[in-house]
Amino acid sequence: MLTSETVRLPRSGRTWHVFGGGAGQPLLWLHGPRGVDASDPLLEALAARHRIVAPLAPGFADLDELGEIDSIPELALDYDDLLRSLKLGSLPIVGHSFGAMIAAELAAHFPDRPTRLVLIAPVGLWNDAYPVADLFAVPVGEMDQVLWHDVAARDAYAARLAVAASTQDQVEQMLALTRNLTSLTKFLWPIPDKGLRRRLRRIAAPTLILFGAEDKFVPARYAADFAAGIAASESLVLKGAGHMVPYEKTADTAAAIERFLARN
Amino acid sequence: MKFHFFHLMPYPDLPADFRDKYSSVWVDVPVSLYDPAVANRSYGDYLDELEYADQVGFDGICVNEHHQNAYGLMPSPNLMAAALARRTSHAKLVVMGNSVALYNPPTRVAEEMAMLDVMSGGRLVAGFPVGTPQDTVFAYGQSPATLREKYREGVGLVLRAWQEPGVFSFNGKYTQLRYVNVWPRPVQKPRPPVWVPGGASVETWDWCVENDFLYANLSYFGYLEAQKVMDGFWASVKRHDVEPNPYHAGFLQFVGVADSDAEAERLYAEPAKYFYRNCLHVGAGYVNPPGYTSLATIRAGIEGQVARITRRAGSRAELATLGWKDFIDRGYVVAGSPDTVVDKLTELATKLNIGHLMVLLHFGNMSRETTLYNTTRFAKEIIPRLRDRFSDWEDKWWPRDTLAAPAKPQPVAAE
Repeated sequence: MLTSETVRLPRSGRTWHVFGGGAGQPLLWLHGPRGVDASDPLLEALAARHRIVAPLAPGFADLDELGEIDSIPELALDYDDLLRSLKLGSLPIVGHSFGAMIAAELAAHFPDRPTRLVLIAPVGLWNDAYPVADLFAVPVGEMDQVLWHDVAARDAYAARLAVAASTQDQVEQMLALTRNLTSLTKFLWPIPDKGLRRRLRRIAAPTLILFGAEDKFVPARYAADFAAGIAASESLVLKGAGHMVPYEKTADTAAAIERFLARN
Repeated sequence: MKFHFFHLMPYPDLPADFRDKYSSVWVDVPVSLYDPAVANRSYGDYLDELEYADQVGFDGICVNEHHQNAYGLMPSPNLMAAALARRTSHAKLVVMGNSVALYNPPTRVAEEMAMLDVMSGGRLVAGFPVGTPQDTVFAYGQSPATLREKYREGVGLVLRAWQEPGVFSFNGKYTQLRYVNVWPRPVQKPRPPVWVPGGASVETWDWCVENDFLYANLSYFGYLEAQKVMDGFWASVKRHDVEPNPYHAGFLQFVGVADSDAEAERLYAEPAKYFYRNCLHVGAGYVNPPGYTSLATIRAGIEGQVARITRRAGSRAELATLGWKDFIDRGYVVAGSPDTVVDKLTELATKLNIGHLMVLLHFGNMSRETTLYNTTRFAKEIIPRLRDRFSDWEDKWWPRDTLAAPAKPQPVAAE
C-alpha cells in the first residue's frame, strides 16, 4: 500500500501529489492515462526492492495546474522542479503511456537524470504507416476496448478501483476521468508528436522499450521508432497484452523492469 | 420583434441508407458521397433563397461556419456573406459567425468582418461561436484543453483591433503581434454588434452579459426544450442587475407555413426527416471530447447533464425513427397553418423572452420551390402579426450606423 503526500513548491506555486512507498534505492514512476493510486499492483511489486516516487501528472488533480505549462519543455521543467525539491538526483525512471512520453522528454532535456530508463507503451512519436489511435474520439464507455487486450485483467483493474473508490460517488469518478483525459489532450492533441523524435538522440541512459503485442492505442511497432532514436536501447514485446500491459502482465512487466535495472 | 432567415446550406443528396451505412455526417464523412455539381446547384439555390429573404422583408440573413461535413457546406461564412453583401440591400448580414480560435492570427477575422461591414454599408452582425467539437477539435486540430481560453483571447483581440484608435501591440498567450492596425475598419462605431451562439453554460451566459453581447441559443430541438437554457441566461442577466431586454437574446427555430396543418406535413415532413436522420448523424466520439465542456459546467448541472446525455443518447438513436408527429409534439418544428405558427411563435417569444427570432425555413433536402413558398408565406403572413411584439424595448444589439447611401452595384455594359 502506497501513501500519498502533498509537496508544495513555493517559488512556482505548484502543488504536487506524490505517491510513495517501499524501501531501497528510489525509482521514479510516471503513470499512464488512469493516473496512480495507493494500491497500484505494479508499484506494489516494484516496492519490494525500491522506494517508489510516483507523482500525479499536472492536471490530473486540478486542471488549473496546466495553466503555466504550455509546452513540452515547460512540462520537463515542471518535473525537474519536483525532483530537485525532493532532493532526488540521478535515478531509474519508469513510465507508462503518457508517463513514458514524459520520461523520455525528461531524459532528453536532462540526460543525466535517469540512470536507466524504461518506456512502457510510450506515446510521443508518429508514423504515417501505423498511426496512433485517436483515443479522444472514442466514447468514454468504449475506451477500455482500445486500452485493454486482456478482458479479465481489465475487469480486475476496474473492480479494484471500484473498491478503492467506494467512498466517492460516481460523478466524481467520471469527472476525474474527464480531467485526466483533458490533461492528456493538452500534450497529445491532435498528433502525439511534439518533436520528441528530434530529441531522442539526447537520451544517454540505457533504455528498455516495452510494449504489449496487442496494443490498440500505440501499436507495438513503435518500439522500432523509439529504438531507432535512442542510442543504448533494447526492446521487449510481451504477448497477450495491450496498452495496459503493466496491469495485464504485471508480474512479467515487473520482472522485466527488475532484470533491466539490475544490469550494470 | 426581428426576424432572420437562417440557412445551414446542407448537402441535400445523401443516400437514403446514409444513416445505416455510414458512421458520421461530420469529420470523416466519405467524400465519395459528394458531387461538385450538386454542391454548385445547392450554392446557387441557397444564395437565391437568402437574397429572396432580403427582398421580402426579413431583418437579417444568417450564415454560419462548419467544417468537413455534409450538414452545412459553409467552411467560410464570410465568402457567403461577401456574395450576399453585393446582392442584398436591406437585410443585415448576420454572420453566426467566425470561430475565432481557428484563425491565425485572429486579426484575420477582424479584417474580413470589417470588409463585410464596409462592403455592406454597415450591415454586419458579428457572431463569435466557440465552434462545435467536430469543427474545432476534430477538423481543425484545436486542443479542447485550451480551446475556450484561446477563443476568448481571440475575441478580445478582434474587438480591440476594431476599436483602438491607433497601432497597438498584442502580447497574448496564443497570439503575439508587434503591429495591429486593421484596414479597413468597420463602418459601425464603436464596433458591429456581437452575437454569441453559445451552449448552456454559466460561464457563457455571464460572459455575454458582462460584455454586452447578444446570447443566441441555436438549438435543433425547438422552443419547448429550450426553457431551462434561456432561464439560465435570464437568471444571469438578473444577477448582473441588467434589464431583461428581449433583444439581448436570440433563438433558432425550424418553421414551416402552409394552408393547413395537414398540408404542412405533406410539404415539410420529408425535409425534416432528412435533417434529423442524416444531418444530425454525428459520430458518437466526435460529440463531446474530454475538456470541451468545462468541469464546472458538468458539475453545476450534473444531474441534468447526465439526464440530458442519456436522453440525447436515446434521441440520437431514435432520430432515425422520429416522425412528423414527434417533430410537432416536441416543438422541434413549428409548422402548420398561419394561425398555428403564430400561436406557437407567440408562445416561444413570450416564454423564452426572445426579441431576435432566427428561423430555418429551409431544412434538410427541401426543394427550392418549397423553400421560396415557405419564405413568402412566413414574410407575408407571420411577420406582420408578430412584428409589434416587444416594441417598447430598444434593440441595442443591432446595426445602427448603416450608411445612408451605400455604394450599390453598378454593372458596366461590355462594349
